[in-house]
Amino acid sequence: MELRMKRSVIVWWLFLLSPLVLGACVLAGATGISGLDWHTATGRAIFWLRVHRVAAGFVIGAGLSCSGVVLQALLRNPLADPYILGVSSGAGLGAALVIVSGFAVAGLLPVSAFLAAILTLSVVILLARNGGAPSIYGLLLSGVIVSSMCSSMLMLIISLASAEGLHSITWWMLGNLQIVSSSLLMISGTLIILGALGIWGLARNLNALTLGREMAHHLGIRTGVAVTLALALATLTTAASVGLAGLIGFVGLIVPHLMRSLVGPDHRRLVPAAALAGGWFLALCDALARTALAPVEIPVGVITALIGGPFFLILLRRRRKHGWVE
Amino acid sequence: MNQAFALEQVSAGYQRTPIFRNLQLAVTEGEMVALLGPNGAGKSTLLRVLTGLLTPTAGTIRLFGQDVNKLRAAERARLIAVVPQELKTPMAYTVAELVLMGRTALLNPWRQPSAVDSQVVERAMVYTDVSDLSNRSLDALSGGEKQRAVIAMALAQEPRIIVMDEPTTHLDLNHSLEIMQIIERLNREQGVTVMMTSHDLNMAAEFCQRLILLDQGQVVADGTPEAVLKEEILREVYHCDLRVRKDTPTGALFVAPARRPPLPRPATAMRVHVIAGGGSGGELLRQLALCGYRVTCGVLNQMDSDARAAEALGMVQIMEKPFSPIGPEALSQAKHLATDAAAVILCEVPFGPGNLINLEIAEDALQKGIPVLINDRNLEKRDYTAGQNVVARIRQLIQSGAICWRQGNVALTALARLSGSAPRQSSP
Repeated sequence: MELRMKRSVIVWWLFLLSPLVLGACVLAGATGISGLDWHTATGRAIFWLRVHRVAAGFVIGAGLSCSGVVLQALLRNPLADPYILGVSSGAGLGAALVIVSGFAVAGLLPVSAFLAAILTLSVVILLARNGGAPSIYGLLLSGVIVSSMCSSMLMLIISLASAEGLHSITWWMLGNLQIVSSSLLMISGTLIILGALGIWGLARNLNALTLGREMAHHLGIRTGVAVTLALALATLTTAASVGLAGLIGFVGLIVPHLMRSLVGPDHRRLVPAAALAGGWFLALCDALARTALAPVEIPVGVITALIGGPFFLILLRRRRKHGWVE
Repeated sequence: MNQAFALEQVSAGYQRTPIFRNLQLAVTEGEMVALLGPNGAGKSTLLRVLTGLLTPTAGTIRLFGQDVNKLRAAERARLIAVVPQELKTPMAYTVAELVLMGRTALLNPWRQPSAVDSQVVERAMVYTDVSDLSNRSLDALSGGEKQRAVIAMALAQEPRIIVMDEPTTHLDLNHSLEIMQIIERLNREQGVTVMMTSHDLNMAAEFCQRLILLDQGQVVADGTPEAVLKEEILREVYHCDLRVRKDTPTGALFVAPARRPPLPRPATAMRVHVIAGGGSGGELLRQLALCGYRVTCGVLNQMDSDARAAEALGMVQIMEKPFSPIGPEALSQAKHLATDAAAVILCEVPFGPGNLINLEIAEDALQKGIPVLINDRNLEKRDYTAGQNVVARIRQLIQSGAICWRQGNVALTALARLSGSAPRQSSP
């Protein structure tokens, strides 16, 4: 079969198998995979709770993966992930501020984390602008600087926080998919899906931009607009994900890598593949987080790295081609 | 014919460093032009301005009559495509994916490429002979194959101008030739205007009918290879000695930097005594030093330009006071040096009452069996002694076995022959 066909087929399989995988995640409970109790109100409530979590896991995984794809393409760097420009520290600082000030109960936590993430990335992007579109090194440098500043302020808050506040902050920073409200899920989910679709629409521009800004210019792309738009969409999806579930790491770094090795670096295929695979991955990790040590719940951020790390290492080692030029 | 592009009084540069001022240049559609010049001449800046990457500080650039900085990016990409020196991407795209990127500006983000797009891509790949490589990933290609794939991407833009920044710099001989032939075919068969920069003057002369030589942001020469590749022009621009020759069978021009004769090893270096004065020795002294000979000079008057040259080159010399006749002491020292040297060279020195005595040094040396090399040009004109018969004395020397020379390289060759056949060791 032609290579292009083979790669497209992988994307289709990811798409077609999604309901199956997500269904299995919904069925996964404290006693392993089992049927659901439709007849009691509790049973129905549990079902809807799980549907919410699986849906949240799917969109957040998809959003973080897409965002990771964008940043790896724009920074032309395999180490890039959605948090590389300091979102994690910025959003963490926003969340910690709300937690220690005691407003967390009012549902302000996701909003403040979302806004802090947007604010951090906007500051980084604005700092990196040098007349035109931000340069790679400008972005990385200002990202590191803003990130360190946010981190040290976060450390200050943590050192002053009460034991209870400290626990909340830590829990939030590890990330979890316990959904506060379905309306929040709807709003964040919509933002993430729109962001991911927008990123997919930019796929050809991302392709051209990985050839370098100058080459993209010659190919007829308004590079300043394209780079800024791509960064804005990545910021939106990341911030919406962070607002919804805290800092879930690893998804946005490793899923794009794995998908690049499976479907190639062409972003027209890579973006949907990474979105679907990221969704699967996080939904599955969350199912594991809920069930592995039930009734104790492991933070899903721990699972993603702990289980995902070795799993992807094996997969990547097996496949010689990584989609990157060595 | 249509004008393909024109630079009208364009000034450009980077952050207060102007690269060129008021540059005026026009290229007709269908031309194949090479932009030449040393590093830093402004070639790349010119290409950046031409392709709209760099906004000029003054003036306009017109592509088929339209201001390049007012064109929409997608429209510009239909007119002008760029082949870089080397495409650098961290992503291992396949050749087909890369070539399709040439159509980026024309494609709807939500639709598959149309039949027309696929056809254009296919044709571009056939043209550059990369069809068989379409599923190969870029990192598995050789330099030449990769450059062909990049040219196919540029072709997929269906541009009317192709701009190439040293397209063959990273390629070896046969692949450079292959790339240039593809470009030439493009120019001849499709009428694409080609503008390329190059450091390879010979390749440029071979393939381009028009060369533009740039130096320090100025057009120094513009015209056919014969008009631009002239020794006197190139020497000025490249600051080095070079030769332009014509390849007899094809008539192609060849530019080669003039290599100096190889340096002899210091242990075998001969010592040569030079009789000069009045600037007659300057260039020869330099050549002798470059060839590795140990050189002594004299007798020279202080402040003579040859004395300054010898001093600058670190040579031992016998000196007399400025504008004074050469005295017996200096003469005997010089004779001593000359009779101990491997050869004595007499330059095109004018003889007057003050330095006539220098001729004795040569006569003395020849008598003692030292080879003497005499510049016999303009003998009559150089005699300012009023009846001391300089010409006759020099003719006598030549009859007694002195070697004649008129140009520096003849003297150097004669010296080399001397050192080869009868190596003589000597001490200063």
